Amino acid sequence: MTNLGSAMANRSGAQRPNGTQGKICQFKLVLLGESAVGKSSLVLRFVKGQFHEYQESTIGAAFLTQTVCLDDTTVKFEIWDTAGQERYHSLAPMYYRGAQAAIVVYDITNQDTFGRAKTWVKELQRQASPNIVIALAGNKADLANKRMVEYDEARGYAEENGLLFMETSAKTAMNVNDIFLAIAKKLPKNEQVAGAGTSGQGRRLVESEGQQKAPGNCCK
Amino acid sequence: MASSRFSKVDEYGFERPDDFDYETYEDFMSQYLTVLAKRAKKWAELIGEGKSLKRSLKVKTYVRKGIPGEHRGFVWLTVSGAEALREEWGSDFYQKLLSGPMNQDIVDIVKTDLPRTFPDNIFFSAGASHQQQLYNILVAYAHDNHQVGYCQGLNYIAGLLLLVTKSEDMTFWLLKVLVEHILPNYYTRTMDGVITDIEVLEELVRLKVPEVHQHVSSIGLPWAVVTTKWFICLFAEVLPVETVLRIWDCLFYEGSKIIFRVCLTLIKRNKVSLLQCNDFSSLAECFKEITRDSLVIQCHDFMQSIFKAPGSLSQSTILKLRRRLAQQRKNHTVQ
Ligand SMILES: Nc1nc2c(ncn2[C@@H]2O[C@H](COP(=O)(O)OP(=O)(O)OP(=O)(O)O)[C@@H](O)[C@H]2O)c(=O)[nH]1
Ligand SMILES: [Mg+2]
Repeated sequence: MTNLGSAMANRSGAQRPNGTQGKICQFKLVLLGESAVGKSSLVLRFVKGQFHEYQESTIGAAFLTQTVCLDDTTVKFEIWDTAGQERYHSLAPMYYRGAQAAIVVYDITNQDTFGRAKTWVKELQRQASPNIVIALAGNKADLANKRMVEYDEARGYAEENGLLFMETSAKTAMNVNDIFLAIAKKLPKNEQVAGAGTSGQGRRLVESEGQQKAPGNCCK
Repeated sequence: MASSRFSKVDEYGFERPDDFDYETYEDFMSQYLTVLAKRAKKWAELIGEGKSLKRSLKVKTYVRKGIPGEHRGFVWLTVSGAEALREEWGSDFYQKLLSGPMNQDIVDIVKTDLPRTFPDNIFFSAGASHQQQLYNILVAYAHDNHQVGYCQGLNYIAGLLLLVTKSEDMTFWLLKVLVEHILPNYYTRTMDGVITDIEVLEELVRLKVPEVHQHVSSIGLPWAVVTTKWFICLFAEVLPVETVLRIWDCLFYEGSKIIFRVCLTLIKRNKVSLLQCNDFSSLAECFKEITRDSLVIQCHDFMQSIFKAPGSLSQSTILKLRRRLAQQRKNHTVQ
């Protein structure tokens, strides 16, 4: 896990022989929210393009990675998908510590999960890295006929708190890539990201040929 | 691999994953079937024809070599003390719980998890018989033990117990003995017992496999990130199912120290691969891979190695560590 010097990293505009340009940034992202709101489903949609009608409940946490492309930058997400049940709460700080981004998820058909999402946002604002980028996802937007949380209410709350906000559906894929992309855009990519903790501190790597095998959808 | 003589669904009803390594499995099974036949004969002699089963050195040795599938439920019940518990509380205790009043919150949360438990198992798929039975067991237990209620993870344990015993009543008592007698406060609302045991494991790794401990610390991967599920699910949904059941054989007989033996064996026998991972992602990935490779598929050898690889490990060592680390954490939060 090398952090290369800024002199090298700044050569981001240099032309690559394979046509790929630029730098690679690696960020730690954590998903939080009540059980069964669809955290794992969002990750599964984003990473593998799949959806399971019956997604197994997450115990502890699951770890996955996915890469997105923004102009000349490859953003690699280290994704921590956590368990939602209240009693797993005491383990959560381990996952959001040192995270540069968080997606707090609620289920638009369940008002309680929105309340729980607000509690998570507060906790992140108090305890996580000060510059953490937080996105609020109102998931299961495909179930509009069962809606219990109004779009405007959630958007208003997000604006007051400086959060990115989207309604998503892991089932139909609506806004799933978009929310990750919006986060990637908002993350600082030129300065070393400050933050406590031990891993994944906005590590910026310079792409060297053959070193990085990005997934097919990226930086073509 | 179409040529495999093993079907897409294993004997417990689990669909094999697409990347299932049939070749390694066939190699292993060609030998393991002989072992199973031999053990079946031995066990038939031990418990056949109205003979009763008592805890003894001989039985312990037999258990370590694996309990035949058809006797598992009965032997687990006997050697773990679950049967004695059942007699103490009355054999209609479970049925009475089920006919009592139900708390709606518990009903809701259990219902949410039902279709999410082993969705790829033919006995648990939508509408299959085990879903209703699992619901009964989890709801009954949550009402029996208010300190625990329903903790996610218990669904996988009870689900696997049900697949083995095919009996709600047996599953209930085995679940009760695990949660209340074998494991120390894993599933309570603060999950203190699990947090302590993860710290105990870290300390044991520091003592027994110091290079790995050093390496994992320097990369900054918390042990809880890797091992929470190992402890909560008792390796269900972590290791191959046959391996899990062999572990549970010993767990029901010998108690929670078996979990540490399994963890330490996994870590020690994969030391070289773990040390080769130089960043956070690859290390986290490696900890996933070591729960699926041929080492753990070969459950018979693996189970022999858990009693050798980690070296000596007594229940009293573990108790001392538990007490010390729980106390340290308490002092820490008070300060
Ligand atoms: N209709 C609909 N269902 C969804 C959507 N996302 C998830 N689900 C379903 O909701 C259930 C729960 O989804 P999960 O992704 O497991 O939820 P989770 O937040 O990871 O839950 P925990 O792991 O228990 O914390 C699953 O059965 C999914 O199929 C969605 O966008 N639309
Ligand atoms: Mg999940």
